[in-house]
Amino acid sequence: MTITNHRAARNGPLRQVTELTRTTPGVLGALALLLVVVGVTAGVFTAVSVQRRAQALADLATRSGPLSVAAQEIYRSLSDADATASGAFLAGGLEPPAVRARYEQDIAQASNALAIAVAAREPADVTAPGSPLTTLSGQLPVYTGLVETARVNNRQGLPLGIAYQREASTLMRTQLLPAAQQLYDDEVGRVSTDQNRAGEFPFTELLLGLAVLGVLVVAQVYVRRRTNRVFNVGLVAATGAAVISLVWVSVAAFSVISSVDDSRIDGSIQVDVLARARIATLQARTDETLTLVARGTGKVYEDDFDQVSMSLTGLLNEAMGKVTDGAVSTRVASARANTEAWLRAHEELRKQDDGGNYAAAVRLAIETVPDGTSTAFNKLDTDLREAIGQTRAAFNARIRDASDALGGTVVVVSLLAAVVAVGATAGLWQRLKEYR
Amino acid sequence: MRLALISAAVVTVLTGLAGCTSSTGTTTIPSVTAAVPKPANAADLTAPPSAAVQECGDKLASLRPLNPMPKPGAMPGGSTMEKIVQRGKLIVGVDQNTYNVGFRNPFTGDIQGFDIDMARSIAAALFGDPDAIQLRAVTSDQRIPMLKSGEVDIVVRTMTITCDRLVDVNFSAVYYEAQQQVLVKKNSGFTGMDSLGGKRVCATKSSTSLRNIANAPSKPIGVSVSDWTDCLVMLQQGQVDAVSTDDVILAGMAAQDKYTEVVGSSVAAEPYGMAIPKQNVDFVRFVNGVLEQVRANGTWKDSYGRWLDGLIPGPPPAPPVPRYKD
Repeated sequence: MTITNHRAARNGPLRQVTELTRTTPGVLGALALLLVVVGVTAGVFTAVSVQRRAQALADLATRSGPLSVAAQEIYRSLSDADATASGAFLAGGLEPPAVRARYEQDIAQASNALAIAVAAREPADVTAPGSPLTTLSGQLPVYTGLVETARVNNRQGLPLGIAYQREASTLMRTQLLPAAQQLYDDEVGRVSTDQNRAGEFPFTELLLGLAVLGVLVVAQVYVRRRTNRVFNVGLVAATGAAVISLVWVSVAAFSVISSVDDSRIDGSIQVDVLARARIATLQARTDETLTLVARGTGKVYEDDFDQVSMSLTGLLNEAMGKVTDGAVSTRVASARANTEAWLRAHEELRKQDDGGNYAAAVRLAIETVPDGTSTAFNKLDTDLREAIGQTRAAFNARIRDASDALGGTVVVVSLLAAVVAVGATAGLWQRLKEYR
Repeated sequence: MRLALISAAVVTVLTGLAGCTSSTGTTTIPSVTAAVPKPANAADLTAPPSAAVQECGDKLASLRPLNPMPKPGAMPGGSTMEKIVQRGKLIVGVDQNTYNVGFRNPFTGDIQGFDIDMARSIAAALFGDPDAIQLRAVTSDQRIPMLKSGEVDIVVRTMTITCDRLVDVNFSAVYYEAQQQVLVKKNSGFTGMDSLGGKRVCATKSSTSLRNIANAPSKPIGVSVSDWTDCLVMLQQGQVDAVSTDDVILAGMAAQDKYTEVVGSSVAAEPYGMAIPKQNVDFVRFVNGVLEQVRANGTWKDSYGRWLDGLIPGPPPAPPVPRYKD
């Protein structure tokens, strides 16, 4: 440094730098500085990039993944609660204890899943106008209030009860279920976004790694020309560290990408199709119940049943085409068989109702008789629940694989970046000392 | 100096990265307004329903009954009645929402009431079995379309005989004479339709009551719903100030809610008839024959006593006197 001091007194700083780069020690110094900056920057950015990937995987495992399950659970339990509460009005008298228990269980499940969904969001998300969470948390107590009013009136033998139940059902169908559907769609969107984040091609990591190697190569070529020494230990060590870092990061990133791909194929894509099938199942069940409640003028519900059951069949076929696991395949096959059984039972139920045998139709709909629709519906719902559970487990396993692949990468990358900086500086410092 | 530069550069890079962690904001808790639930299809009336008060002579004069009446199960060949008997069930459009007239009994799940008794007497006359009947719950606005499409044989559902309905369907002789009145909450201060100017008054869609509300001189705001009980729900929830329809329907509501009362004088006379598809003239005559029997053999009186006597003030009325044109 001392050699430049007397010049610096006479010349401006720009001139000073230009002069400096013409001298070998100047170039060596600049290279050392460049290597430290590039090496540290690359290390920091790579670590940050890997950390971001790890964060996306953590989100998939602990936030968006579980939340999409919670959203689906909200839809399922609300829909089932409404079908159950409306169905309680099909038979005369008080609802059987099992029906009441099922309704209460559904509401408990819905409130709990809703609390989880709300807790995971920022307050601003929840309070935003038109947020599905606002609708759900605001209207669910109103819904349960109406259902209880309906029960109280029913208990007193007043037809007013069923009018309150109809109002509750309208609230469910026009506000709560659409909000639950929107929430589910949002959460599925988040899962997909997180998968994209986790499975991004590692452009930053590769470019930075190559840049470090490039600068190291230039430095070594220069040092060799100026000093006639083939190897500079510091620079070689730095190069070795840079290569290891690049390979490590690449291997980790590509195995994450592969695992995230698997998490789609074995997990989320199938879960989504199955979840939509389950939602269709619940819609069809509600339609079937409301057709009977309407007692002869439920054509609008019956038409909806036809439409929804058709899309249910389509979704199950789609699911069959995407299945990658034997156990799930068995479940989906069973779901298809149970759907057929349900549709057959439903046809018989409609025949009874249209033929004026309302009581027989109601029995098919609510009692657990072998050829009844409720039997087939419950079996179908179990199949779908199990299939969704199994594919969810596969999804979680793949995400865990991906997280494992990244394990320790941040630490390794940071250490290797330090080695690059220290090695390069030490190597060049050795040469620089010769000019003192 | 150079070391200082390097460390400065590193520090800058690091702080730049650290700056990525988000800034904190304050969330204000917005005040939300409670959304009031409404029955399905509840709507404020924007324009009064088409007041098709056509002139049609004596609208209450129906077709003369068959004489002699055929015996149950032995209907004349080719008649509407024979077709119904062959099918095995009389399909009747009824109400499942009007307490003690046509309502679903919560204890049994069966549809019962004064209208249902009337419908069952027709089934009894056709089949010899009052249970050879399929009851289909229809809303007010579904009555005429379902008769026209032939989905029901007859509608027995608190249906007022009017000239514009006679364009689409035929009516039996009058089987009940109702009066449109007003149901309000007790102590609300409302005394009748005259005191309800600018207030919200509920009735079912396509009912004569709704038209009468819209055309009342005091200018109340009409609110339409699908079923009569929906009106009581809205009254209880404070979404309407009154319900206005036939005394017999209002009596059923007042019986379900002791905090309500029927007030005021009659807004309009509402003579009920059973509606039958236009072309089934023979069935109209048959039904009128059944109504003659029902009046004569005490069935009408018994049914009134069973369902309506306690609800409607005053002594039980005599059955309406039928009027016939040919």
